[in-house]
Amino acid sequence: MSVAPAAPDQIVHVVDDDEALRDSLVWMLEANGYAVSAHDSGEAFLAACGATMTGCILLDVRMPGMSGLEVFEELGRRRCGLPVVFITGHGDVPMAVSALKQGAVDFIEKPFGERDILRLVEQCLQLERDTRDRRLQEADTTRRLGQLTQREREVLELIIVGRLNKQIADTLGISIKTVEVHRARVMEKMGAQSLAELVQHVVALDPGASAR
Amino acid sequence: MQHKNPLIAAQLGLDPMTWAAALDKNHIPFVAVLPVFLMQQAAARASPSRWYWAVPYVAVTLLALSMLAVVWLLQARETAVERDALARDLQWTEQSMRRAMLSTEEFLVQLARDLSAGTLDHDRFQLGANEHLAVNPALTNIAWVDRDQVVTWSAPFDTRDLLVGEALIDDQVQAFQNSALSARLTYGQPFLGGRGEAVLEVYAPVLRRGDSLGAIVAVYSVERMVSRLVPGRFAEQYRLAILDRDGRALTLSSALPPAQAPLSLTLALDPPGNGMALQAMAFRPGGSLLRTLPTALILGLSLLVLWSLWTLRRHVQRRVQVEKERDQLFDLSLDLLCVIDLDGRFWRCNPAFERVLGLDPQRLPGRSLIDFVHHDDVAITLAMLRRLAGGEPVGLENRCLCADGSYKWLMWSINPVREERLVYAVAHDVTGRKATEDALRAESAFRKAMEDSMVTGLRAIDLSGRIIYVNTAFCRMIGFDEHELVGAGPPFPYWPPEHLAECERNLSMTLSGRAPRSGFEMRIRRKNGERFDARFYLSPLIDLTGRQTGWMASITDITEPKRVRAALESAHERFEAVLDGLDAAVFVADARTDEILFANLAFKRIHGFDAVGRTVRGVAVPQPERGDYRVDPRNLSPTDVPRELFDGELQHPVSGRWYHVREQATRWVDGRVVRMGIATDITDRKQTAEVAREQEERLQRTARLITMGEMASTLAHELNQPLAAIANYCAGSVTRLQAGNAKIEDVLGAMQKASFQAERAGKIIRRVREFVKKSEPRRCAVNIAEVLEDAIGFADIDARRTGIRIHIEVEADLPRVYADRIMIEQVLLNLIRNGLDAMADTLPEARVLAVRVRTSGAEAVEIAVVDRGHGISEEGRAQLFTPFYTTKTEGMGMGLNICRSIVEFHNGRLLVDANPEGGTIFSFTLPTESAIERSARSA
Repeated sequence: MSVAPAAPDQIVHVVDDDEALRDSLVWMLEANGYAVSAHDSGEAFLAACGATMTGCILLDVRMPGMSGLEVFEELGRRRCGLPVVFITGHGDVPMAVSALKQGAVDFIEKPFGERDILRLVEQCLQLERDTRDRRLQEADTTRRLGQLTQREREVLELIIVGRLNKQIADTLGISIKTVEVHRARVMEKMGAQSLAELVQHVVALDPGASAR
Repeated sequence: MQHKNPLIAAQLGLDPMTWAAALDKNHIPFVAVLPVFLMQQAAARASPSRWYWAVPYVAVTLLALSMLAVVWLLQARETAVERDALARDLQWTEQSMRRAMLSTEEFLVQLARDLSAGTLDHDRFQLGANEHLAVNPALTNIAWVDRDQVVTWSAPFDTRDLLVGEALIDDQVQAFQNSALSARLTYGQPFLGGRGEAVLEVYAPVLRRGDSLGAIVAVYSVERMVSRLVPGRFAEQYRLAILDRDGRALTLSSALPPAQAPLSLTLALDPPGNGMALQAMAFRPGGSLLRTLPTALILGLSLLVLWSLWTLRRHVQRRVQVEKERDQLFDLSLDLLCVIDLDGRFWRCNPAFERVLGLDPQRLPGRSLIDFVHHDDVAITLAMLRRLAGGEPVGLENRCLCADGSYKWLMWSINPVREERLVYAVAHDVTGRKATEDALRAESAFRKAMEDSMVTGLRAIDLSGRIIYVNTAFCRMIGFDEHELVGAGPPFPYWPPEHLAECERNLSMTLSGRAPRSGFEMRIRRKNGERFDARFYLSPLIDLTGRQTGWMASITDITEPKRVRAALESAHERFEAVLDGLDAAVFVADARTDEILFANLAFKRIHGFDAVGRTVRGVAVPQPERGDYRVDPRNLSPTDVPRELFDGELQHPVSGRWYHVREQATRWVDGRVVRMGIATDITDRKQTAEVAREQEERLQRTARLITMGEMASTLAHELNQPLAAIANYCAGSVTRLQAGNAKIEDVLGAMQKASFQAERAGKIIRRVREFVKKSEPRRCAVNIAEVLEDAIGFADIDARRTGIRIHIEVEADLPRVYADRIMIEQVLLNLIRNGLDAMADTLPEARVLAVRVRTSGAEAVEIAVVDRGHGISEEGRAQLFTPFYTTKTEGMGMGLNICRSIVEFHNGRLLVDANPEGGTIFSFTLPTESAIERSARSA
């Protein structure tokens, strides 16, 4: 099996109360070249958890003290965007499903195959990398939005919801010419090559914007 | 006597004060009766000697004599006194006479002296003499007689004696001469004077110088001496007489004759000295009558007393005779006779008491009748005494104690004498009669009962066919009264009109003596018209003389016997039908020979229809071996039975069917000892029991499976854990080895860890397998702590998942319990899981489930599962053990039910209590090993 290159700053966090499972997982993941950090409870993990953490989290659902779900919720509250994979036992599937709905990447049932867990880990790390890239993109978009004037922002919003220039001119009570000028300025300021790219940037930043 | 009183008083219903009063009253009759009683006693005793009869006579005689003596003495003393008085009086009289005479003598001497001196002349003489005569009335004359014995002077003048000139005569001369010669005063002999009166003369000589000049003579009238010289009083008391020398009375003072044997005294009149005497005789006052009256009275009264004594004696003799007869009657009476007071105390008893009751009649008086009365009869006896006190005559029968301690029946007839407060009682020994009466009564009752209970009717007819007797049974049978039947002739009222001809034929057959000895049946009717069959048996009626006077028929209502026979037959049939209807094989076999005497249908069906007559050992299988019997039936005697011989389950060697065989030795109808055997096919029952047991086991196992099913996800998780670990270790190792950068030690360590995890997984699998494996219940000594550990092993998985801490408190040095390990684990797991489930909504910090194990008493261990969950409501608790009752969505509702069955199978109890801190406590007990051993030993 080929070892997928992992970003050197990415760490796989294993949170499981069962010492054997935790240890064996560390043993296996390390064999595949991942940096692994093991925690024996949700509380211990949350204590070690910081904003600069990267990588992914393998979280056991059923633990004494805080359960996996509770830890996940706490992470959500802390706006920790690390992708989470739940490890469940047999019969914990409904719980895992509800976890998925809340944004977990996936769940894996014990006992799991090496390939499955590695695929999931890789997927998570990839996701984390993507997320990290998107974050940078969003930050750029936000910065660019900040450069827009009031009028330009209004025009942008109407563009995103798909209004034509004429409609925009009517809505704002300005001339089409003026709309076109604003539009070109927006495109320039937002660094967008096309309308689609513009919309993609803005919606990625604010998914609810298109609905508005 | 006194000590009885309160008791008797109480029994008589009197208070002690009344009683005391009654006693006081009793006192009087007692005193009154006693002398009579004593006399009677004396008369009765002293009949041989009659000395006492002389006593009154002698006494009276002595009394009379002594009285007479006293009277005589008194009279003698009186006489002496009188005599003294007489002597005194006579003396006194004589003195006074003498004094008078002395004065006369002095006068005469004076005259004589004067005459001699010559100084006396006739006139003076006359004067002096007459004066003297006047004061001395006893003197009649005074005269001077001269020497020639011629009266010279004579006084008084009017004298008719001694007239002057008369010469003295005879005696006078003698006296004159004597005086002259003696020259002294001399009294002459008294003599009868001229008028027939006795006179006494006294001569005083007149001497002058020795010459006699004559003499002065004074003449006393003797009569006057008596009448004048004696005081009147004397004359009243005495008759005085002057006697002459010869004792002839010259004069008497009274013509009255003195008393008989008069008291008289004679005193010599000395001065005359010529033999004259003065005699005084006392007149007795009252005379001799007065003197003799006391004597006469004494004698008379004595005679009267003697006479009355004699009369009394005759009366007493008659009385004694009568009493003797009465005493004979009393003593010889065969009946008990006694005198009793109203308190029931004996006064007197006759000897029959000794003869009848053996009681000494002499000792009875004073004792109470009540003491001898049988305690059952005390009440009626006391009632009798009360009635007697009321004056009624009574009669009663009671039992009295004999000296030998037995009781005899006495019939009392008592008549009270109220005034004496005594009763005269007659008691007749009726013990024999009583016994006879009882016997007669019993006999009579027996005969009455016999007659009443007899169901055979009896009817006698005379030779003419007329009914002369019917008994009650016959009356009862046909409903006619006796008076309707007796005297009736044919056709009899009980002949049914439709069978008259047959009845008459039977009657004529009877009268002619041709009735069959075995009797005949006839249909007769009752008064209410009902018809019934009766059987008549005829026999001739022979009187005392041996003459036949009629025919006696005994009639039996054969309706009932007919019905009874039918009933018996049907009962027998029923009996056979029941026995034959039994599924159990029943046989009766001779205990010695094993010959089958009786076999029911089931027996015959199993062992062949020719079984009766063959030996039981030859046909009946299964049979207990001889050694299996509790006693050898061949040695039993009829007195040893009934006795159980065998009671057990045997399998038929060929068919394989099971029989419950029970054999009993008992007495057969002909008296011999038999074995009665009952064999019941219990194959089905045995199978059913087996099936039920298996079902129960299956149920428990199913419950365990269900438990496991419910725990499946938990177990799977638990199992996945090591499996996942193993997979990881293997994968990691493989990757490293493939990469070639593996360190041998690291891989080795991982492999060891992997194999450890494999073991861990195996342990879980084994535990589950053990828990659900199919096994027979097997109880043995078990360490409860180990069982708990196993149960916790399962439960802890859930507990960890739900964040519940299981707290275990196990007492140190717990004895081992006698239990089935798996079953108890099942119970524990069930209870713990229930507890865990109940705490799903409990606050995280209170999520503690405690399991406590401790000894309970000496012979049990108590296990308690304490949760802090939602608890169970009252109604929930009541339904807790109901099958299929559950509060859980997934539960089957069998868990607790099975737990309870298991606990009870272990002789324990499963209890549910509310936990005071919230939640519920389930607890149960298990017996310790030693408790089971002990009970096994004692069993």
